[in-house]
Amino acid sequence: MKELRRYQWLVGILLVALFLTGCKTGHQFVKKTEFKDSDKIIISFAGPVDEAWATNVGSYAVYEKPDPDIVLNIKGIALNSERTVATITFAAPLNTGEAHILNTTGIMSEGQDLGAGMLTVKKLYIGVLISILLGAALINNFVFTKYLGLCVFFGCSQKRGTAIGMGLVFTIVLSFAAVMAWALYQFVLKPYQLTFLNIVVFIGLVSLSVQGVDTILRKINPALFKAFGVYLVLVIANCIAIAVPLMLADNEYTGWESFSLALGAGIGFLIALFLMACVRERLELAKVPPSFKGLPIAFVVAGLFALAFLGFSGLSIY
Amino acid sequence: MKEIIKITFALTISCMIAASAMGLTYTVTAKAKKHNHHMNVYNAMVGLLGFGEENPAPSDLKFLHVYRYIVEDGDKKFLGYMVPVEKGSEEAYEMVLMDLEGNFVEKLEVPISAEKVEEDLDRAKALQEVLAPPKTFSYADSSVVATSGGKRLGYVMPGKFPGFRTFIHALVAMDPKFELLGLEVMEHEEDAGLGKNIEEEYFKNQFKGKTYEKLQTLKVVKKPLPVEYKKYLEESKWEEGMFTEEDIAEIRKQYKDADIYAITASTISSKAVTDGVKILAKKFAYRIGKLDSVLKKEEIHAAF
Amino acid sequence: MAIQEKTNRQLFVDGILSENPIFKLALSMCPAVGISTSVMNGILLGTAVLFVQVCSSCTIALVRNYIHPKIRIPTYTLTIATWVTVIDLVLAAYVPVAYKAMGLFVRLIVAFAIITMRLEMFASREPVGKSFWDGMGMGLGFMFAMMVLGAVRELLGQGKLLGFDILGFGPLLYFVLPCAGFVVVGLMMGFFNWIEVVYNRRKEA
Repeated sequence: MKELRRYQWLVGILLVALFLTGCKTGHQFVKKTEFKDSDKIIISFAGPVDEAWATNVGSYAVYEKPDPDIVLNIKGIALNSERTVATITFAAPLNTGEAHILNTTGIMSEGQDLGAGMLTVKKLYIGVLISILLGAALINNFVFTKYLGLCVFFGCSQKRGTAIGMGLVFTIVLSFAAVMAWALYQFVLKPYQLTFLNIVVFIGLVSLSVQGVDTILRKINPALFKAFGVYLVLVIANCIAIAVPLMLADNEYTGWESFSLALGAGIGFLIALFLMACVRERLELAKVPPSFKGLPIAFVVAGLFALAFLGFSGLSIY
Repeated sequence: MKEIIKITFALTISCMIAASAMGLTYTVTAKAKKHNHHMNVYNAMVGLLGFGEENPAPSDLKFLHVYRYIVEDGDKKFLGYMVPVEKGSEEAYEMVLMDLEGNFVEKLEVPISAEKVEEDLDRAKALQEVLAPPKTFSYADSSVVATSGGKRLGYVMPGKFPGFRTFIHALVAMDPKFELLGLEVMEHEEDAGLGKNIEEEYFKNQFKGKTYEKLQTLKVVKKPLPVEYKKYLEESKWEEGMFTEEDIAEIRKQYKDADIYAITASTISSKAVTDGVKILAKKFAYRIGKLDSVLKKEEIHAAF
Repeated sequence: MAIQEKTNRQLFVDGILSENPIFKLALSMCPAVGISTSVMNGILLGTAVLFVQVCSSCTIALVRNYIHPKIRIPTYTLTIATWVTVIDLVLAAYVPVAYKAMGLFVRLIVAFAIITMRLEMFASREPVGKSFWDGMGMGLGFMFAMMVLGAVRELLGQGKLLGFDILGFGPLLYFVLPCAGFVVVGLMMGFFNWIEVVYNRRKEA
């Protein structure tokens, strides 16, 4: 495990890059716009604004990005005592999944007109990504709610050590493969209308990334390769590895979204493997009817896990 | 070295054979797929308008598509409706541009034939000719106006909204007074035994006959569906003599203003569909009103 | 390996019974758990698998002498992927309703271990005729297992078989719920093992 710590900086860079993509408004005087509850939008200004302007309903026009002709009804506007944060309350709940455009008339601050603004209000991108990630890991866990990757799941869940190794290797390879698959799909297959080649291309890509990780790992870190190399071959036999690229092609995900879906799928697989391995280690000692020994009882246990994972289904994260 | 060449050669040959096999299948099946999809949607729309075996659709029933685009010119935004217009015996298409308040701006003739108009790519190509840069346009949605004998029978709107698992694709039909004619779920990935029941008649037929006013306040209630109402909703299971005319009229009256009864253990799916239908219907009713007044004022003879 | 001496008929029967891909070899479990909610699903996916298995087996058996041993596995994968694409396109075009019911699983046939295994173990060594029967046996064995699972789940969950109302009520909704797939497969496997144990005991006695 210590070997893996070296790669912490990589994760750090990824996170910083993510945060940077999320922050942008549309007017220099506006620091932040965000949704609150289901029917409010909050605007944070860089300095105090004039109350008469800020609380006038006519100063704002808000619509969903694809529907510029349907302006939403504003119920009321509240300004905080420092006059820097305006809270707009709407008559009907907002569809927060969609980006909203907020047009303002010239922003008035200390009697000065700072010009009109066209602000975009949307969920923080990292929030969307995290919800995709957790969604793939827990709510739509590939093993327990989508029933994929079962061959490897039952094959590698006898010992905890094996389970962790397999899960980690799978997560890394899948993330590589998914991002490549996304790029190939968006920039080659789709523009040239070759989407019918999806299956062949994606399975080739998965094999290729397995081979790639194999070669790189062997050169860079032989110790790590010795520990985890055996699992690499098994990745190809796992149908999650081919299901994830197919899903992100079907759902038209963006690059970051593809990455977090793949990461979530991998983490979900790791969780499932680990949980199952914990139970199966104990099952060895349990008194199981002879005809149920081995796989049959493992299946029944997995069924119970699946039932438990159904409990995540109502969870909404962001 | 020689072996590498041999392997490369063998792989190239097999890839080429595989690719040509797949390409061949694709060209053969692509047409059939499109046709089947088209027929599927067509039949669903006919069914939604209330036509079936006993009540065949009139022979001059026509589905006219209206495509909505968002057109941008610098920082100004317009709505562009691509509508079929009557021009002698031929069908032609015109792009009607209006500003965001619904005032007429401009109309443009779009050089496209009736067969090609349903293809996204062909439409974009034709529009490129009339809406040259710096104007840019992006496709928003489409809706269908059903006509027969020069009269409007209703509207059908395809829509997609987030369900419990993934997106639910559905068709919603309204009559010219914006009363709901029905709902058809086309594609979804809800769970079998739970959310999948949004396909069932006892759920989707609950939307039938809801007025536009009721739709504004339509809610999902977590109450068991009354037995008699369920029997009435499951139209395909009706037997001879199960309901008399009076029974039907009475049930219809009793539940006309009822809210939507949620599917047991699938409230989220039920609510997703109800909200989706509400939003879809509301937006459409608003837009078709604006479009109609512009068409009337500017004397554009749309084919519907 | 004893496979060499088997006749076509034996190959065919073995695939369905003693080497049944799901109950005996425990391969390709994903669809067995995922979409075995009705008999119809079993028949549909079974047909698709049968098609891919037979076609791939025959293709590989035909060219088995020309395959370079170093690119054996890629060639298998390519062959399977091609046939899966073909059946995927055909199903999507001509039976869209059934295609939708099966979701991702048609395309995932490409990752089914059973098909690659049969190519490696059998079709790459045997002539076309034998490979054909072996593929038929395996495909039908898969279909048979899927149908049995589907029948159990459909009957216990909805009281129906092939869409016809048999019981008139659904005894246990649980069996149709997605998560019941694991339990049903586990119970069926245990049941088959138990039959074997009892059978062997009788024979000894």
